[in-house]
Amino acid sequence: MTTSSSLSTGQTGATGLTSLSRATRRRLGQGAHPLVGKCLIALGSAAALGSTFLAWTWTTAFPGDLTVTGYPGGNQLITLFLSILTLLALAPALVPGGLPGTRWMAPRGSARLLRGLALANAASTGYVVIAIAWELGGVANYVAGTWIAGASALLAVLGAWLLPDDDHEPAPARPTPRWAQVVVVFVVVMLGLLVADFGVTTGFSEEFIGFCLGAGFAGRGLAASGLFDRFSALTAANRTATGCAVLAAAVSFVFLQSSDAYTSVADNILIFATVALGLNIVVGLAGLLDLGYVAFLGVGAYTAALVSGTAASRYAHVVLPFWAQALIGVAVSVLAGLLIGAPTLRLRGDYLAIVTLGFGEIFRITMNNLDGQSGPQVTNGAEGEYGIPDLRLFGYDFGRPHTVLGHTLGRFGNYYLLLVLVIAVVIFIFARVDDSRIGRAWAAIREDETAAEAMGVHGYRFKLLAFGLGAGLAGLAGTIQGHLTSTVTPDQYTFSSSAPPNSAFLLAAVVLGGMGTISGPLLGASLLFLIPDKLQFFHNKQLLLFGIALIVMMRLRPEGLVPDKRRRLEFHERETAAEEAYEELVADGLDGADGSDGLDELEAGARA
Amino acid sequence: MSVTVLLQLVENGLVLGAMYGLIAVGYTMVYGTIQLINFAHGEIFMLGGFGALTVYAWIPGVAHLPLLAALPLMLLGGVVVAVAAAVGAERLAYRPLRAAPRLAPLITAIGLSLALQQVVSLWYRLPGGGNAKAPVAFPSFGGKAFNLGGVLVQRADLFTVIAAAVCMAALAWFVARTRSGRAMQATAQDPDTARLMGIDPDRMIVVAFAVGAALAAVAALTQGLRYGQISFDMGFVAGLKAFTAAVLGGIGNVRGAMLGGIVLGLAEELSSGILAHFRDTAQYGQAWADVWAFVLLILVLLLRPQGLLGERVADRA
Repeated sequence: MTTSSSLSTGQTGATGLTSLSRATRRRLGQGAHPLVGKCLIALGSAAALGSTFLAWTWTTAFPGDLTVTGYPGGNQLITLFLSILTLLALAPALVPGGLPGTRWMAPRGSARLLRGLALANAASTGYVVIAIAWELGGVANYVAGTWIAGASALLAVLGAWLLPDDDHEPAPARPTPRWAQVVVVFVVVMLGLLVADFGVTTGFSEEFIGFCLGAGFAGRGLAASGLFDRFSALTAANRTATGCAVLAAAVSFVFLQSSDAYTSVADNILIFATVALGLNIVVGLAGLLDLGYVAFLGVGAYTAALVSGTAASRYAHVVLPFWAQALIGVAVSVLAGLLIGAPTLRLRGDYLAIVTLGFGEIFRITMNNLDGQSGPQVTNGAEGEYGIPDLRLFGYDFGRPHTVLGHTLGRFGNYYLLLVLVIAVVIFIFARVDDSRIGRAWAAIREDETAAEAMGVHGYRFKLLAFGLGAGLAGLAGTIQGHLTSTVTPDQYTFSSSAPPNSAFLLAAVVLGGMGTISGPLLGASLLFLIPDKLQFFHNKQLLLFGIALIVMMRLRPEGLVPDKRRRLEFHERETAAEEAYEELVADGLDGADGSDGLDELEAGARA
Repeated sequence: MSVTVLLQLVENGLVLGAMYGLIAVGYTMVYGTIQLINFAHGEIFMLGGFGALTVYAWIPGVAHLPLLAALPLMLLGGVVVAVAAAVGAERLAYRPLRAAPRLAPLITAIGLSLALQQVVSLWYRLPGGGNAKAPVAFPSFGGKAFNLGGVLVQRADLFTVIAAAVCMAALAWFVARTRSGRAMQATAQDPDTARLMGIDPDRMIVVAFAVGAALAAVAALTQGLRYGQISFDMGFVAGLKAFTAAVLGGIGNVRGAMLGGIVLGLAEELSSGILAHFRDTAQYGQAWADVWAFVLLILVLLLRPQGLLGERVADRA
């Protein structure tokens, strides 16, 4: 097999390169005393922290007003926060073995944590420093504070790379009482909320880019230090508490907002994320590629709109309560899913992909044509259903502001709370199904359908179940989406367009985030919505970049940003197998006398 | 409905079907060799059209030639661009994933399709500074249509049918008579044994991509000539239809692809034409044509998933 051997040679080459660079780095690190690195980090971070209280430029032309001496503003807040974080992260590295009480910060060694944080600070700060010169036209716009900020952030990075590697297996977590674990989960989730809130409410693109750079590199550092693994172990042990904490955090987001401006952004993200999660059941869990998924959202939205009493509907005289609309919307979506799925799921997955692509197109054309001209008047054609009334649920009018706990909830705030509830239900279903016999059957089918059938898994039935469930969840989201946007047109539900959600965006959110995970599509949907929303210059190139992102992700990191363990193994099956074989041989070689021959043989085999 | 009207519908259907068939060959050949549905094939078709237009618009003098003389040059341009794109995609995007789970190349193909569309939409420029965000004018034959006893045959229609016939004959000769063609058949049947016989399957896969792309470029040229315009997103629906044609004829079967294309073209034209004939449904014709095509696809998958000429492919289907 050419393919497997060429793959494994590539792999060997890549591993060789990383090991070389790591060795070089170690040699560099050994040259300097560890104290030098730590001092540089401390000095750099402290200076960067101090510089945020200075002005960074003398004109107010740069957004966020960086001209004020005395307190930080705009992007300086990010630098301030990251500097404090870096200084805190120095604690476990201060004395050998770490300061007592701070060792939990770096279970796998603090050097990589410090490198991640220092790099995050340098990337975010450095970006602003460069942006000031770039946007305002030259370094003439720099003042003392700018130079201090840039230089000190770089100094901290230099220091972090001078640190010796201290990677080690994470020490087992000390047993802590249940209540303490729950408190930790709550605190971390709330901190996460504050970070997410900062990201959603960034007011200008420079701030958003600085935030993304900082959060991205800091996240990498935290993951490398083993902190994420420890936290996920904690959440796995306290699933109920985690669920409550996330729900509480999501609800409290709306109480952090003083206006509806960012709540509407959050509403759109939630719709997008709910549908992406539904698609993740189909693509991530069952391994079926659905390229017309947004049509099910449309089916739900249209069905609910038709019986909601809008004047544009043919059935304007039919006004059903929302729970009935939702039920009908879900039922019609599931029916559509079964109609499409029943003939195609008997065949191999590729057919499903193209049939769903066709279905998405049929849906759009049909909604366009049912306008009384090219077909019977049902949906009002290209103009769509407009003036869909606001939701009313148990006498609660979603269109009017309400005062809850002294906080005024606007229209978008009302919908936000409902959408949080819906996404919580979807997450609950996702988690329970994944963890059940059905989820295991899906895993078996997506890995090898023939083998699964041989083991007694009824492939067709389980695939149809995944498809129907996915369609139903999208339909449910659609019933709310129609009311939220108050207009439903055929063009909202295309394969690709410049505004989410559409099928291409949804697939990108799932693939980018991580197939088969819950947090993956949430992260993916948030990023894919916020990036075009915050970065205007990006607007007409987003589809291009998402297309390239899909290709690059499949090539380099098919398991997504938040990888599922089993997924990672599936995608890297051959590489893992090759590595294991290599390691086995190395182990044998150390025992046996003629071990080196075996190694040479293997390497020759890999080259062939 | 008079016989003339019916014959006219059949003529339209045949021409449309010949074009679908030319694109469908690309799906079917790639599928036949590596069991991959190359979703980006519709975009290869689109690039072929823009390649031909580039030769026409950018090379000085070509636009002043009589169209029949310019056609070979345009065809060459289209084929070069389409083949380069297809071979590049195979080499850079698909080949590294050949050992990956099935989902990976499919998602790559979707990404490729999005990216290629956007590249053309964002950066294609005409000599006058016009861009390709909206449909772009394509040269078309002047002159009157031929009248065969009441049935109007446009000049571009004639070109399409002749081009399709020549291409299919050349393809049949290539597959059956040349060393490369036979090697390709061998690879499709059993890549491992083909390798033992001294055939390089990687090369054969590239050949399959290249041949499919070349025929797609011919199809794009006929599309441009018939409709007088091309657009960056024309590959989407055309690709879907052509895939339907490939499945209809039996995916993996080259002759089936052309047959499937013609059946699909006829079905599409006749269904909308006959609907238009009745008064109650007079308006329902053209707007629903795409819907009939997909309904046909689903019916075929339901009733005869191996296609018209396909063999029983239990493990493939």
